[in-house]
Amino acid sequence: MAASFNRSGPSDLETSSVNDQSVSSRSSNRSVRVAEKERRKNEAEDPVVLALKYFNDVEAGTPVNGNDEVEKQLVLVEKVGYSRGLSPDAISVMLEFAMSLRMGTTLCPRVLKCLIPATTVPQEAVVRAVVWLGVGKIPATTQVLFVKWVLTVFDMIDEKDQLRAIYGFIFNFVTDENLCPFICHLLYLLTRKESVRVFRVRKLLELQSKLGRQPFLLHLLSLYKVFCPELVTLSIPSRMRSGFKNHTSPWKSALLFVQKRNGSQVSSNVSLAVTVKDKTSTRKRKHHHLELPKLSSVVNKPAQTETSSSRKLVPLTQLHSFAQLLENMHRIELPSQMGSLLGSSMALHYLDCVQDESALLRLNFWLGYSLHEEFLFCSDGGASQYSEEVLQFLNRLLSTQHFLQEGFSSSEAFLYKFLTVWDGALYRPEILGLLSNIPVIPSSQIGRLLFEPLMQLFFTSSLFFKCGLIECLNNMLLKWLTWHSVYALEDDLDISLHSHTSINMTLSGFKDSVMELVLFVGRLASVGLQLEGCHSVLLSFVLDFYETACDTFLKYGLPLVLLPPSGVFYPALLASDPVSVDRLAYIMYRYKANLTSAKNQEKVTEQAFHISRQTFREFNSYIAVMANYLWNSRVFHPGMGVQLEKELLLKSNVPEYWTSFDLIHHPAFMSYAIDFHRKCWPGRKDMDLNSIKLSKPWGWYLEYLFTQGFDGLKLFFQGNVRQQKAQGDGQGDSTPTQAR
Amino acid sequence: MERHHNSVTKTPLDRVQRRSKSKSYRQSLRSCLGATCLTPALTTRRLNISRRAPKSHNITKVNPEQLALMVKTEWQLSYVTPLYQFRHTQLKSYSRQLSAFIAAEKQQGLAVEVEGSHGSFRVSFSVVQGMSEAADDAETVLIQIHLKRLFSRQDEPAKVVWSGLLTCINGSPDYLRSLPKDFTCLPLLCSSGAEGLTSAVKSWFQQTFDCYFGQLEISHTSLQWMIALWTNCQTESAIQFLKMIWTLPVVPPLKVTYTVNGQDAWELWSSVRKDPQKEGNGEDEDENSIDIEEVMRFMQGLKSHFYRHFRLDLSAGKLDQVSTALGSAKCSGMIKISNSKYMISTLTLLTECALLKMPI
Repeated sequence: MAASFNRSGPSDLETSSVNDQSVSSRSSNRSVRVAEKERRKNEAEDPVVLALKYFNDVEAGTPVNGNDEVEKQLVLVEKVGYSRGLSPDAISVMLEFAMSLRMGTTLCPRVLKCLIPATTVPQEAVVRAVVWLGVGKIPATTQVLFVKWVLTVFDMIDEKDQLRAIYGFIFNFVTDENLCPFICHLLYLLTRKESVRVFRVRKLLELQSKLGRQPFLLHLLSLYKVFCPELVTLSIPSRMRSGFKNHTSPWKSALLFVQKRNGSQVSSNVSLAVTVKDKTSTRKRKHHHLELPKLSSVVNKPAQTETSSSRKLVPLTQLHSFAQLLENMHRIELPSQMGSLLGSSMALHYLDCVQDESALLRLNFWLGYSLHEEFLFCSDGGASQYSEEVLQFLNRLLSTQHFLQEGFSSSEAFLYKFLTVWDGALYRPEILGLLSNIPVIPSSQIGRLLFEPLMQLFFTSSLFFKCGLIECLNNMLLKWLTWHSVYALEDDLDISLHSHTSINMTLSGFKDSVMELVLFVGRLASVGLQLEGCHSVLLSFVLDFYETACDTFLKYGLPLVLLPPSGVFYPALLASDPVSVDRLAYIMYRYKANLTSAKNQEKVTEQAFHISRQTFREFNSYIAVMANYLWNSRVFHPGMGVQLEKELLLKSNVPEYWTSFDLIHHPAFMSYAIDFHRKCWPGRKDMDLNSIKLSKPWGWYLEYLFTQGFDGLKLFFQGNVRQQKAQGDGQGDSTPTQAR
Repeated sequence: MERHHNSVTKTPLDRVQRRSKSKSYRQSLRSCLGATCLTPALTTRRLNISRRAPKSHNITKVNPEQLALMVKTEWQLSYVTPLYQFRHTQLKSYSRQLSAFIAAEKQQGLAVEVEGSHGSFRVSFSVVQGMSEAADDAETVLIQIHLKRLFSRQDEPAKVVWSGLLTCINGSPDYLRSLPKDFTCLPLLCSSGAEGLTSAVKSWFQQTFDCYFGQLEISHTSLQWMIALWTNCQTESAIQFLKMIWTLPVVPPLKVTYTVNGQDAWELWSSVRKDPQKEGNGEDEDENSIDIEEVMRFMQGLKSHFYRHFRLDLSAGKLDQVSTALGSAKCSGMIKISNSKYMISTLTLLTECALLKMPI
């Protein structure tokens, strides 16, 4: 016993700490050595370990009354028992302590009541305790309490063979009037065919004549009759009240609590798949439509199998490695429930190759059903509560879609409905993730299905949501464009095989959808930036989007160029952080590259796409504005996008207002200018930033800026601004080169 | 650049037809189903706004024993997604499999806990002939579970402890035709019996036919339709009374039971019906159709009558239950059809509700 105890404390800690780590997946970060050290420290200091040690070693006959020590230790054990549950070894120690009556009979019921197992109950402990039941002078009520406890934890006893071996011994307690109902129940659980003997039947019948037709005796007898009808001639009423009375009351709630608490930890440990745990996890939630079906093979083979029997099918369940999967690729039998494919990564590989329309439809039915039931049909508002299970499900769905690189049509259909009722907060990252996987929507539908609900959400939600949505739409655009670039280029390999399910989207249809999306984000971003005071985080997400949008032609081969609206262009140009200005410069540089290459193609081939003059005009004016603002110190010049009345400008008392957004005075670059000034003229006391404007230092200043990592500005400058030697004051003047 | 160049030159702008089997300029099968059945699903799948008035059907084709069962039972409704590889010819084998499945579940002690569970279950599947109306409807299937008690006398007959009806009456032909032929669409399950057995049957169906079950409530609008459809039958077979139970959202909730004499209800109903003469030359078919507007006017009439007497506006409340001598329906999805003559029209409405619940 002592030996087993010594293991008890540490092993308890070990399992719990391992579980903790596996839950939070911090284990990798933690060095083994530190953990080991901590464990040793805990082992020595953990009060529970000491308490258990106390109960293991305490001598028989130690007085209870006035013994503070035992009180303290017992309280400790009780606390652990009711909160986390006791480890198997702790249960052995405490059960042994209680049943041996080492400290008399008073503590015994109290100890029994706190014996809540965390995982399992060792069989040996139960057997020993049953032996004590025969030996000791345990009071009748305590004996009953013990048997009730065994009945409660019966499913958690690790093995039952030894208990069955002492069936006869247990049977003897039947004669005890108090114990009889409970012993009958225990026997009922333990009985096997070989346990049914004539003398036992006789004993029970004898008891029945003494006690009357008690239901517990009848139940046990009816079980005996099932096993050996020839031995039990008694007629048993066909209607019997079901089962034994529920004897589990003292522990039930505590046990449920502990199991619930430990539930996630235990279920993460696959080897410990006790059936009891499964039960509690299903009990926890009323609806469990989010469970993945189990992978199982088909029972009803379709009738045609005889014709195709030459090709023996291999159920997916029988494949255990990727190599096997490859070997049997041509003759794999789909499982009976398609939803189960989502549960295994190997099955996903196969799913990627499945072309069978029915199979995919089955998968979509299951998925759509699960999502609808969870989020839309739940009348009791179950969906509006956050739950770990739903989160896991959504994440699995997301990773599946990520793996397959496309969304499922049922999740798409679900989203269209869900967006109209979504509050924008529930499972935000997951829902936005699913949303970004939506395949291309025809432009005639896109407004009603997607834009209307999204617009409402966008304008009524926080900055955080706005950023999330722009990011989501950026991902959506990226996926659409990637899809286009992959499939459009494979057009050359066209084999004309007709499939009645294939959906042909025309190139112009696709272009329309992309255009709608980009214009929509333009509108959202313009108003959003205004609402949020041109918040630089939001601006950064918007610029992310335009970094995708500016390269549609060169990077993805889609003949479409759409410029950002001025509601995006000006906030970026006048932003107070240099990064945004730099990124805008980069984006404009890429637009130019796309436009010129489109233009060149137009010259080479007649059939190329046509970019409207309007686009070129707009682009040129943007370029002009940028060059005038940043290089030429010509702000608010007549004929440019932003104009102010001269009087108003004079009234503002800003000296030389026309220079206020050049690369020296621009709020984003001022600090660089000052820094440059100090480095250039270290001796000078008075700071005159205008001296940088002179031809030579201006060139140096630009060089300096480019070395600070403003590659966007550099590219933009090299591509668009022609340095002109100016006469007179020697100030460099630049004119934008225009794309035509 | 070279490649873009090619693709652009070769591609006519407005018509890009690509149909290679494995990869092509189309959405893959996994996500494309949308365009075939999803888009119409999103746009057109609404509850019908007009339906034919129930004609008294003398269902003579249906086996009277089965008919009696359907009429005397109160059913709990569920919707079912289409069944994969369901064969009406294999019902015998399904009976065997489901019996075995229930026995196995019972052994585990998980799903089935029926009172006095000492006994064995026997399942029978049967086709209810003569129920289907339209050509696209699959034949209705009746499932019954009998319990043979272990200690019962030899002559004691096995008792039916659970029955279920899988049916599709006048299902939307567009939806039914959009399904591949591997699927059988029986979207409505009416079940009655122990909860444990219901869930056992459902999980067997899920595992065998890859279909899924959800609760089917009867919506406010559907209940109003029921009222109208039943009241419309008054001349052929008396509804005797029209009873509605409303809940009003006050604290504490107020429950209103509103019963109208059958003949009075009929008179109100005929007063809100559109004049068939005005509609045209009174073709029989046209005459028999009922519009949602008529239903709403009828409800309005009932409500304003109630308001006149009790100063209580029922439009703020929720209709929980309606019943007439022809049947009763609760919003929780319980239905009882008392007169077989009008069973078809009720089941048509319920089929429609069930199809609305289909995820795709």
